[in-house]
Amino acid sequence: MHKVLIIDDSDINLTLIKALVLKLGECEPVLFEHPLKALEWCREQVPDLVIVDYMMPDMDGLRFIAAFRALHGRTEIPVLMITANDQKDVRYEALLGGANDFLTKPIDRVEFSARVRNMLALRTGQKFLADRAAFLAEKVDERTREIRERERELIVRISRAAEFRDPETGAHIQRMAHYSEIIARGLDLAPATSRLILQAAPMHDVGKIGIRDHILLKPGRLTPEEFAVMKRHAEFGYELLKDSGSEIMQAGAEIALTHHEKYDGSGYPRGLRGNAIPLFGRIVAVADVFDALTSERPYKKAWPLDEALRFLEQGRGRHFDPLCVEAFLAGWEEVLEVRHRFQDEAVATI
Amino acid sequence: MLTPFIIDKAAILERLGGDEEIYAMMLEMFLNDVAGNSAALRTAAASGQAAQLQREAHTLKGLLATFSDDAGSALAYTLEQQARRGEVVDGEAQVTALLARIDEVAAVLRQASGR
Repeated sequence: MHKVLIIDDSDINLTLIKALVLKLGECEPVLFEHPLKALEWCREQVPDLVIVDYMMPDMDGLRFIAAFRALHGRTEIPVLMITANDQKDVRYEALLGGANDFLTKPIDRVEFSARVRNMLALRTGQKFLADRAAFLAEKVDERTREIRERERELIVRISRAAEFRDPETGAHIQRMAHYSEIIARGLDLAPATSRLILQAAPMHDVGKIGIRDHILLKPGRLTPEEFAVMKRHAEFGYELLKDSGSEIMQAGAEIALTHHEKYDGSGYPRGLRGNAIPLFGRIVAVADVFDALTSERPYKKAWPLDEALRFLEQGRGRHFDPLCVEAFLAGWEEVLEVRHRFQDEAVATI
Repeated sequence: MLTPFIIDKAAILERLGGDEEIYAMMLEMFLNDVAGNSAALRTAAASGQAAQLQREAHTLKGLLATFSDDAGSALAYTLEQQARRGEVVDGEAQVTALLARIDEVAAVLRQASGR
């Protein structure tokens, strides 16, 4: 059923047009004598065709069309303007001003029916395309969700690849990622950014894949030469992840490269200082170190929480970005909750 | 003097796609509205408002054209155009002539509709 909006200040014309529209079938005429009342109706309703008289007292047809077109989503709806035979200039103006076609008075049924049918066919085409576009958009959303899901899965798997060769556990990766997210939220970063760091932080040590076993798995202290090799995991991780089309991989690359930088410039690999260190690197530095300190490793015991906290406090402005430390401390309740949730024996997925 | 109005039912019907039902309805509506339309023209003429006069002449032009009254419609058109330009020449006579034509058309249509 097509909704046909008809606006004419003359009763007899309204009646005639209504009768002709009804004869076409499949049409529901909606009549208005006053253009302003019709506009009001148009705010709530979307007609499939507008037939509007030119000469009306409160608002002429041209002004009606302009006001109608200005309503949201009404730019494409076909409009037929009715003018007297002698109003050629008005017809030109109407066509330029947004009318799709015109009808001349006195109305001729054959001409009227043909034009109205054409306009309604146009409208039907528009609706079909709009429905199709909506359907496709939904499909695209669905597929995008699937791809995102797969991307997340891949990231978890990449992170685990490093884990296989590393004494660090899966639970460490989960905890440090969630700590990073707590800090990001504490810094008032956008929810999407906080989510991004949660997803990207697990890849911080993925470059350890490139470190030889006798160094990576060495039980004792590393010699300065061995440590120099070990440090290269930051760049390896970056090399592995950089230039990805994925936003998460890009963030992961940045984190891999910069999470061992220190605020005072004494970190590695580039010795960046202060805010020259990308924010994600500064955030992950706090999260990673805190979790490393408070976890048990083959070569060391877990530090008590208060000692680890003291380490962060003392490292403010030296090792760590003070704002990141503050954000971490501000989220302390949540930190404890994450620590409890991801214990070394039981690993949940992110 | 204008040529007398003769109802050209065939021409009107052709425009209405041969639909007798719509034809009868149009006739009915014209007869119902004619007194109001004439009064509106008189009021517009008395008000001295050119825009109002233009609009009422426009309405009558359309009505007369609907019943294929070319002569009457031309009369209304002249008045409408003059009012639009704000240069109405002998307005009273024009209005009187137009009102007389409307009455004439109404009388013919009334007879045709059997009212």
